[in-house]
Amino acid sequence: MSLYPSYARPRSLQQAVDLLSGLQGGVVVIAGGQEILPSVNYGVLMPDVYVDIGGIEELIGISSVGDELVMGALTVHRDIQGHADVQRLAPLLAQSVSAMGGGWQVHNRGTIGGNIVAMHPLYDIAPSLLALQADIELIDAAGTRRLSFADLLADSSHGLGTKAILTRVFVTASPQSSWGYYKLKNTSGAYGSANAAAVLETEGEILTAIRVVIGAAADQLTLVSDALAGLTGAAYDAAAGAEIERICAQAIGTPLSDHQGDGTWRRAMAGVVARRAVEAALLPATGPDS
Amino acid sequence: MEDLLEQSALVQWRIDGELHELEVVPGASLLDVLREQVGKTGTHMGCRTGHCGACTVMIDGAVAKSCIAMAATLPRATITTIEGLTAADGTMHPIQQAFWDAAGLQCGFCAPGILLSTAELLQTNPAPNDAEIDAALAGTLCRCTGYQSIRRAVGEACVRMYPDAAGE
Ligand SMILES: Cc1cc2nc3c(=O)[nH]c(=O)nc-3n(C[C@H](O)[C@H](O)[C@H](O)COP(=O)(O)OP(=O)(O)OC[C@H]3O[C@@H](n4cnc5c(N)ncnc54)[C@H](O)[C@@H]3O)c2cc1C
Repeated sequence: MSLYPSYARPRSLQQAVDLLSGLQGGVVVIAGGQEILPSVNYGVLMPDVYVDIGGIEELIGISSVGDELVMGALTVHRDIQGHADVQRLAPLLAQSVSAMGGGWQVHNRGTIGGNIVAMHPLYDIAPSLLALQADIELIDAAGTRRLSFADLLADSSHGLGTKAILTRVFVTASPQSSWGYYKLKNTSGAYGSANAAAVLETEGEILTAIRVVIGAAADQLTLVSDALAGLTGAAYDAAAGAEIERICAQAIGTPLSDHQGDGTWRRAMAGVVARRAVEAALLPATGPDS
Repeated sequence: MEDLLEQSALVQWRIDGELHELEVVPGASLLDVLREQVGKTGTHMGCRTGHCGACTVMIDGAVAKSCIAMAATLPRATITTIEGLTAADGTMHPIQQAFWDAAGLQCGFCAPGILLSTAELLQTNPAPNDAEIDAALAGTLCRCTGYQSIRRAVGEACVRMYPDAAGE
């Protein structure tokens, strides 16, 4: 132990993984630092070792293979917002990343990997990734594996940030689907009090599939799809909107109750943002305003 | 692999045109190094959480909050601070002059965030509309709440930097 923490900047993924697997506790992987530094500045986090993955070229960049969008973990928010492949294949993701707070300064440095691994309930990227049925890839001493984002959320032993490194995020486009993101920002500062991402499929006016993910209302994301199945087979109307509101509010188990708003209101707003995200998906030109 | 571990990191930065080679402690922010090791006190410490933007600098041409950038993670970088906007002979940058003339700032504490974000915006957008200005400046809080005059001063800066684009 020394008074100051130590630091390493591995040059390759393999080097980083070897290093992490040889280290004991007190290790933190650092990418853009937008999450870590505020905690370090206030003494909330006092790592013994920083492993800086910022120099690992393999983790940088956005590409697409057919209908699949592939984003390296070090891709910064700013690059996602403006990238043509993201606009084409996953505009919902571009929209939710644009809704993030912190301004250009944070968007220029914060990475998608860091945002995912932070798993903060108020954050904006995760609802869209779950709605889009994204996959992620991670690497640790046991090797590389690809899993669904949903499975990652359910797995508390993934070791990301200390033993494992998130390497890539995959989203497959579904050309017949429409999408909407709605962030209800009711306080000063960056975060929403309830956020919703909706992915719908329609045939003409008829809703054929509906999938809504609500964030910021509970300490876990809330996926609502089966409970909304009764709305498929018909066109969307005001009554359907009221039903979405009711079902989605009800889907929130224990709502968060914090400086973003108290629990009763958060549950009600979960329903409202769900309806507005669905309306945004159906009426992209006019947008939600009710 | 443990031999990769260092107790300090050596960084090479071109700060406002001048080359510096510095030894930085892991965990230290770019803000602390700029203010305490380099003496660039124009970069202000406001919140240390990344919310206020008073510590804004440009890293390789893109704005960043220096209080939440870890110095060691920037082995080589070109850094522009608010002090670097001014020419060596003391002539103010057109953005600074526009803010001066249009009274765009009040107390001035947020100037690093407002002026450098304006600089990044105007690099690629010679005639931003209000929504584009707001998006570019959203990362900086003006505690004097002078947002209307800030918008006006950005407009004035556009006219000075791109006289041909004005009025479009
Ligand atoms: C002022 C401000 C406002 C913000 N507003 C919003 C907002 O409105 N919505 C929103 O969603 N987010 C917001 N954020 C959060 C922020 O943008 C993200 O969390 C950021 O993207 C984190 O990325 P990073 O690379 O900086 O992470 P870091 O701080 O470097 O790391 C964050 C965590 O992830 C781990 N980690 C990072 N990369 C990897 C990897 N590849 N593999 C394994 N572990 C990894 C680290 O160990 C650490 O635990 C805001 C942040 C700030 C400072």
